[in-house]
Amino acid sequence: MMLGGLGALIGAASAWPVLRFLSPRATGGKADTVTVARSDVKQGDAHFFQYRSKPAVVLQPKPGEFVALSAVCTHLGCIVAWQKQAGEFLCPCHGGRFSAEGQVLGGPPPSPLESFPVKLEGDQLKIG
Amino acid sequence: MIRTSTQLFLLAVLSLCLVPALAPAADTVCLQCHGGLDGRLGDPVDAWRTSVHAENDISCHDCHGGDPTDMAMAMSPERGFIGVPEYTEVPDFCGRCHVGVAKAYKAGAHGQAIDRGGAQCVVCHSNHAIQPASLDMINEKDCTRCHSYERAALIRLALVETDTMIKNVEQDLDKLHRLGFAVDDMQGTLFNQRNIFHRTFHGVDVERVRAETGDVQAALGKIKDKIDTIKTTLGQRKLWGSVVIGLIVLAGIVFLLIRKSYEEDEHS
Amino acid sequence: MQPVKWLVEFVDVRLGIKEIYQKELKGYLLPRKVNVWYTLGAVLLTLFTIQIITGILLLMFYVPDAEKAYASVEAIMNDVPFGWLFRMLHVVGANVIVIALLMHMLSVLFMNSYKGRREFTWLTGFILFNLAMGLCLTGYLLPWSQLSFWATTVATDAAGAIPLVGDQVVEFLRGGPTVDNQTLGRFFALHVVGMPLVLLGLIGLHLFCVKRRGISTPPFGEDYREPQEMPFFEHEKHPGGIPFFPNYFVKDAAVIAFFMAFMLAIIFYAPGLFFPETAFQRADPFVTPPHIKPEWYFLWAYQTLKIFPSKIIGLGVQVAFMTFLALLPFIDRSRERRPAKRPLFVTCYVLGILLFVAISIWGHYS
Repeated sequence: MMLGGLGALIGAASAWPVLRFLSPRATGGKADTVTVARSDVKQGDAHFFQYRSKPAVVLQPKPGEFVALSAVCTHLGCIVAWQKQAGEFLCPCHGGRFSAEGQVLGGPPPSPLESFPVKLEGDQLKIG
Repeated sequence: MIRTSTQLFLLAVLSLCLVPALAPAADTVCLQCHGGLDGRLGDPVDAWRTSVHAENDISCHDCHGGDPTDMAMAMSPERGFIGVPEYTEVPDFCGRCHVGVAKAYKAGAHGQAIDRGGAQCVVCHSNHAIQPASLDMINEKDCTRCHSYERAALIRLALVETDTMIKNVEQDLDKLHRLGFAVDDMQGTLFNQRNIFHRTFHGVDVERVRAETGDVQAALGKIKDKIDTIKTTLGQRKLWGSVVIGLIVLAGIVFLLIRKSYEEDEHS
Repeated sequence: MQPVKWLVEFVDVRLGIKEIYQKELKGYLLPRKVNVWYTLGAVLLTLFTIQIITGILLLMFYVPDAEKAYASVEAIMNDVPFGWLFRMLHVVGANVIVIALLMHMLSVLFMNSYKGRREFTWLTGFILFNLAMGLCLTGYLLPWSQLSFWATTVATDAAGAIPLVGDQVVEFLRGGPTVDNQTLGRFFALHVVGMPLVLLGLIGLHLFCVKRRGISTPPFGEDYREPQEMPFFEHEKHPGGIPFFPNYFVKDAAVIAFFMAFMLAIIFYAPGLFFPETAFQRADPFVTPPHIKPEWYFLWAYQTLKIFPSKIIGLGVQVAFMTFLALLPFIDRSRERRPAKRPLFVTCYVLGILLFVAISIWGHYS
């Protein structure tokens, strides 16, 4: 009798995690799209925001053209700064430079800044 | 322009530099030659080997320019050789890579006073035996070489508190990382905050350091909250785990007791 | 209970399950002196079942591609509800299986149960042991961490010691000159389907041999006598013995319960036990971590390779040892099974264990 009770308890304790593991989850969090007002991103300017809980940047290098990139330098992880005059990104930690498209122009970064899809819908920019 | 005999002599001397090339094959020509010299020309090599630059494969030519693969052209301006910077040129020299720090430094009291002998990079960090920045660089002995210690002491105080916080958060994140938790984002934020913080006080401005301290500690606070949530989860898991383990051990004991009763039947 | 009785009757008149119950469970008699070591078989069956179940669950979220593998495991550990539990069960389970396998093999060795016309049981068991090692090796690569990548590089390198064809063998194992996506692909296929199918088949064969020949009697006590060997097949019976079900079954259940408690204790109280730091770093083919070592159950092989100046001798020694072990029933033909009467055997046995432990510890620190 006691064994039956114990068995039932242990059985329940084993079945519960399997059930939760297999149950469909609401997709949220990581796959989100972020919306930025078009007016926030002036031509030649860069607007920083959070995308998937990491710093990102959206800019308008040419009129009507928008680029969204990760703002995390691919060298050691510092956040890049936008140099308006030079039209490029400069990482303050060790001088890594990236173009407006995120390509490496100089310094220690080993790879370009990750780019994200960006679409213009009316006066909103949808990133992701 | 140089006489043939002198050229030959220089060549002979340079070839002697090849002797210490019994060192690991990866050594640049800079290290091969200077590694075998004494005194002023040779000391930087040993000093550099202990440095954080050496650990990260940043060698002579990365700062001084020149060609690390060609013995003859190693120190030629044609190959970008800059040579030894003057005292006042040092911030720009180091600032070619450490852009953010140089900017903060130049705007601050030390940077503004550099022509009058204000402390520059090498004064605190040394030139070749560079170590990762530490709190001990701000101490009474070194800072009072030029002025009183009061303001430096205030900056050090602000630093100690935040640096300790940063270190504790770092250790906590490491422990969680070892348990398989995805703390990469938080580690990235922490790294960033530490860099912002360390950069700021190169401007040796007590008020700015205090303001920055507030911002950084706020960001750290957010990370600490997330860490606390994870720790609570871990505690809950341990609790439930203990309950289930207890139930299973109990089941095992019950089975053994049943076995015992069968054994008695078998022996009778 | 009426419904249960009715159900049993329903199935029995169609499939004769009551007869099976009488013959295989209640009527299946074990020697009176059967000891706790005989439970290890059931323990191993349970552990393998857990591996299959947790493995299938993990398969639902794991992605076998070098770009995505690590992230998928990280997602299992962090995002999937109880994903961490099934991953940990799988990892700890694998290590506990190796422990149980060693205990099972050592107890069979000590009791000389490979004798008495049980060569096939021993051989299938030996192959099963090697298969389990293969499953551990292939599974190790799947998370694509620094540990996975470099431990696999070191392990596959060992095959390079084979004379003449060594390098080709290494490339064949890896699917290329270095550990890469092709390696992951073939290791994944082997780990998930290839080896488990062979394992299941061999377990069936192994159990068939055990049941067909009959359970051996523990060779202890002064009144133990080795039964006479007839020139025809005989199933070793134990009249007056204890019924397997429910008498010995409860002992199986108790030991299984304690093994499970042990596994869960590791998961909840020492979760980092089988996870060095490099297990949580994404694989980087350009950066070798310092002190990379194979898992504890391969340390003996790793160290043996290091001891001998020539790789081929090191490999040869291991192959020789394994071959000796595999063919032991054909080498040790004496009919005496009692350890009390076999001082030389017991000495070699104890020395062997000590040597294994010592070399493994040395391998850990070297």
